[in-house]
Amino acid sequence: MRHDPDQDGRTSLRRRLRNSVWPVLKSLALVGVTTIGLLILDQFFALRHVTLVYLVPVVIAATKLGIVPAVIAAIAGGGASAFFFYPPIYSFLVQDPQHLIELPLFVFVAIVTGHLATNLKRQAELARRRETEVQDLYAFSRQLAAAHTASDIYTAIRQHLTSIIGRRTILFETAPRGGVGATLSNEERVPERVKRETEAVIGRRKDSRSDSVVDDGEGHLWLVRPVAGKVEDFGVLAIDLGQQAGAKADAIRQRVDTVLDDATSTLEHLDLGQAISEARVRSETEALRDALIGSVSHQLRTPLVSILGAATVISRAPGNSSDPRLASLADILRDEVDRLNSDVQDLLDAALISSKGVRLESEWVEPADIVNTAIDRRQRLLAGHRVALDIPTELPFIYVDPILLEQALGQIVDNAAKYSQPGSAIQVAVRSDSTSVILSVKDEGFGLVGEERTRLWERFFRGERHASNVSGSGLGLWIAKAFVTANGGEIEAFSEGAGRGTIVSIRLPASEAPKPDLMVGDDG
Amino acid sequence: MDSSTILVIDDELHIRQFLRAAFEFEGFAVQEASDAEEGIRSATLKPPDLIILDLGLPDRDGSSVIERLRSWSNVPIIVLTVRSREREKVRLLELGADDYVVKPFGIGELIARARAALRPRVVIPPGDPVIRVGLLEINLATRAGTFDGKRLVLGPKEYLVLQILAQHAGRVVTRQQIMKQVWGGSHLDDTHYLRIVVRNLRKKIEVDPTRPRILLTELGVGYRLGT
Repeated sequence: MRHDPDQDGRTSLRRRLRNSVWPVLKSLALVGVTTIGLLILDQFFALRHVTLVYLVPVVIAATKLGIVPAVIAAIAGGGASAFFFYPPIYSFLVQDPQHLIELPLFVFVAIVTGHLATNLKRQAELARRRETEVQDLYAFSRQLAAAHTASDIYTAIRQHLTSIIGRRTILFETAPRGGVGATLSNEERVPERVKRETEAVIGRRKDSRSDSVVDDGEGHLWLVRPVAGKVEDFGVLAIDLGQQAGAKADAIRQRVDTVLDDATSTLEHLDLGQAISEARVRSETEALRDALIGSVSHQLRTPLVSILGAATVISRAPGNSSDPRLASLADILRDEVDRLNSDVQDLLDAALISSKGVRLESEWVEPADIVNTAIDRRQRLLAGHRVALDIPTELPFIYVDPILLEQALGQIVDNAAKYSQPGSAIQVAVRSDSTSVILSVKDEGFGLVGEERTRLWERFFRGERHASNVSGSGLGLWIAKAFVTANGGEIEAFSEGAGRGTIVSIRLPASEAPKPDLMVGDDG
Repeated sequence: MDSSTILVIDDELHIRQFLRAAFEFEGFAVQEASDAEEGIRSATLKPPDLIILDLGLPDRDGSSVIERLRSWSNVPIIVLTVRSREREKVRLLELGADDYVVKPFGIGELIARARAALRPRVVIPPGDPVIRVGLLEINLATRAGTFDGKRLVLGPKEYLVLQILAQHAGRVVTRQQIMKQVWGGSHLDDTHYLRIVVRNLRKKIEVDPTRPRILLTELGVGYRLGT
């Protein structure tokens, strides 16, 4: 885009004039207004020490217009008092020696006050700017901490840059093997010309820090600029400059340059380039593993339906009911299929959690329903234990995904049954306080020792004491934790040591349930 | 012994085999179909008393099979589904399926569901408009209920909910189905009120309201009156 140099010269002169002369004129006007006011008052009252009043325009000029207008206002104020108020009036001469001291003193005080006021204003502005910067960085760091994939990180970077630049931006991910990666701001439409320009910038990027301004054909100018530090490369950023042209766009462009330089070095400090490439590798291997687990588990589950069905038919078959040995064999078959099925289900759940995340379908739920379902679905597993439930009648309803929470609690109940002696007690209790509803499972089992306490919630972790004699996928508690956390809850385990049982508790936020105004007309 | 005919529509040969064995042991007659087209044809030519429909058919989506069947038949349908698809279960029940069983399942569970689904939908013997479910009795004429011989004091909403569940005793009823009948069509998403009514009902008809044995919850789907 070209500009007529003459026109450029004229605009810059006009701008300089506007920037330096205008404030001075304003400050003189302030002094003028003050003088007129004082002259009017002077008609009615005999005014003394009028010079002090001129501090007002000086302070206003200092805070609103800057230090130069303030100094000029101070001198003009001194002059005006000498001219209008100190005898001889309408002359800059001053007779009274006391006034002779007063006037320079005023100018001195006015200048110092003006200087202080300007400083104060600058400090306040600085503090305000720092505060927004810190807030931006805080939000950014929170987003980064939660980022798991490369695209999460890019989204965080884009939002960070958008908020510090204060304009619409689109960040183009530079794909690892060259070319333009997917735009990350899916919700936004990217103008075709901007897209093409981005590709051009990526092509040129090797030789220089090239940036360019492009018109999107709809009146908006876009600045397309690589976001690259000394070593790392974070993609190409397109910034919507709006409908400004020429000088104003240049100013924005300069500001964007400064801001982006800072931001890029922050990104480099955070070692985000490394994080992005690690996330890419991680997601590739995880995707592969999860796809494998998913398809293997699915293949395993189909025959399980037939095996379990057939086993239960055999155990009910008229010919078998007379022979207890056959019935117990059918029971074994059934128990083993149940176990295998729950392991396969764990694998499927885990693969789903890490590939798609946890998707909530929350609703208001009666806490007792969750406990009862979890216990009822595990009747066979719990048959050898003494199960006690402790559920108060008046519990607050909780807003959760009931299916996931039942599965989480079920995993804990499974563990309580698996890691304790047959015949021992398992107590499932529900408590509530003002902020939460707590589901807890207490057993009299093997307890937790050493690294079991800390590594309990890890994926595929199995305690060495039990790995050989208790079957399990090592995924149960990891899944439970994922489901509980997704529901906004916390899960923790406590044990006094080996053989002294374990208490696992799930704490869920209790929120205010909607008021039942539909109950009107019901006396029940 | 029951002489009803059951149509099993499932593409897995082994599942059809054990279902046939199980239902024949119980005295039912069994027809088989290995895909949706064959199933619909079989249901048309020789109408069964109950259909057991697997959702994972190769040729057709389960819900469209239900819609096709429902366009001309009231035959009870039990759906074989997989876990963690509550929305889908609700949708299928709303389309006209009568109940569902989650795979893998023990045959006892399926047979109990089948028997419940085979019972006539509304049990109102002429001259005696009383529904009996275990110890619970509901008199549709006087809109009153007794439990174990004791009179129940029920609010109007409580009575309606209990009546709907009793008419479907042993079968799952979705929350939306109850909401539609009790509160009308405009409050289908406010199932919170239903939860409160259920809690109150349990205090009246359960021995231990926190460990219900009669008014059971199907998490994420609805309620079932145990038989």
